[in-house]
Amino acid sequence: MRAKRILVVDDEPGVTRNLKLALEYGGGYDVQVENCSGNALVVARHFRPDLILLDVMMPGLDGGDVAARLQADSLLRDTPVVFLTAILTTAETAGHELMKGGYPFLAKPVDLEELKKSIEEHIRR
Amino acid sequence: MTKHLEWLKRWPRFGIMTGSLGSLLVVGLLDYLTGIEVSVTAFYLVPVSLSTWFGGRQAGMFMACASAVVWLGADVLGRASLGHPFVSIWNAAMLGLEFVAVAYLLGALKDRNQHLEQTVALRTEELRRSLVELQQTQQQLIEAAKLESVGRLAAGIAHEVKNPLMTLSLGADYFLSRQTENADESVLAQDMKEAVRRASNIVNQLLDYSRPRPLQSTREDINQVIETALNLVRPQLKTQDVTVVRELQDGLPTVMLDRARIEQVLVNLFLNAIQAMPEGGTLTVRSSATALSTNGSDAARVDVEIEDTGDGIARENLNRIFDPFFTTKPIGRGTGLGLAIARTIIEIHGGTINLANRAEGGVKATLGFNVGPETEA
Repeated sequence: MRAKRILVVDDEPGVTRNLKLALEYGGGYDVQVENCSGNALVVARHFRPDLILLDVMMPGLDGGDVAARLQADSLLRDTPVVFLTAILTTAETAGHELMKGGYPFLAKPVDLEELKKSIEEHIRR
Repeated sequence: MTKHLEWLKRWPRFGIMTGSLGSLLVVGLLDYLTGIEVSVTAFYLVPVSLSTWFGGRQAGMFMACASAVVWLGADVLGRASLGHPFVSIWNAAMLGLEFVAVAYLLGALKDRNQHLEQTVALRTEELRRSLVELQQTQQQLIEAAKLESVGRLAAGIAHEVKNPLMTLSLGADYFLSRQTENADESVLAQDMKEAVRRASNIVNQLLDYSRPRPLQSTREDINQVIETALNLVRPQLKTQDVTVVRELQDGLPTVMLDRARIEQVLVNLFLNAIQAMPEGGTLTVRSSATALSTNGSDAARVDVEIEDTGDGIARENLNRIFDPFFTTKPIGRGTGLGLAIARTIIEIHGGTINLANRAEGGVKATLGFNVGPETEA
């Protein structure tokens, strides 16, 4: 069985590098990262992820813009998206499906176990 | 003059009239004893003026007539009447009319004076109220401006700090997942996770303070909320050897509140109290209800009091305890946001929070919640 593919879109190379390492090593996922939100759609069409981890605040296209473009794309509209955000607190994201089409949100800094749990909950089967 | 005789105003009317009549009799006696050669008629104005000013216009009129009668008595008894007895009566009547005129004019002056005093008092009260409103509005504007700038700052800090924290956290997770045989590495990684958690917690508190979340209110029994909060601080109570005394009133009306957030406030106040008693002490938690008789409704207020037996708050810090980032705790023990957040939470509940030193020592925190009608959403 092939490993589940996860695309991480975040403008912070430190975050994406560590997420890739942690998810591949600690979760057995196949992870591709993208630091430029403008390239996210192209990379996603090519990589065909089972789930996308998407940062909210990014220069250029923000997370909401990227999610809207994914929604508009016939190939990617069913790909689950989990937002990562620094400007919400854990208490605010816990148990709430927030804005932008009811996507789940995780507050940075996210705990690896919590992240894996959320991925398993939302990933495309 | 009026100011010096202010105390006379407090006399009951009976006392005033008795005093005036007394002085009238003294003047009458003086008039009789001095005979016709020495005139003391002007002295009759003393009881007339006193009774008018302090007893009112009617009392003044009465005293004016009484003065004329006494003058007539003194005149007749002193056999001072010249010629026809009608002359004395005529003179007494003329004098009486003068006294009545004096009483009437003095009464009018008094009324005018009273009206002016009332107008000044009314205007002063209006000005005072306007000043208080202006000060409150200014304070609210300052608070709003502060909150807005803290909000912008908080969002910026959150973005700039939490991303590096995430990198650190994931790095620590990676080291932990390697299952190394070197125990020190695991401990170091755990320490890093704890450091990240603490730093993240500070940023979250800053976000909480600057951007209060909407309340998710339900009708709650405040005593149950207190018990939950006490349970959450049980380890600290035990470690610090603090005894809890509960004085919780039974059958309190339920209050509309966001339970999680009021628990957060109570835990914060409990922890502050516990930390104020490093050598141990007593934490007293009290709840009570007060009926508010406004517009005939059955409104009430529920109060929660939290008392410690610590050293209290230094006088110079009392005005600053709710300021964000103000703390008297050692570095690393407090962010200085706890009470600021507590006040924000209580205020968005429409409640009140107050901290004061107790005369017996220690601090008393008082929370007040308004109890709305049962149908309130």
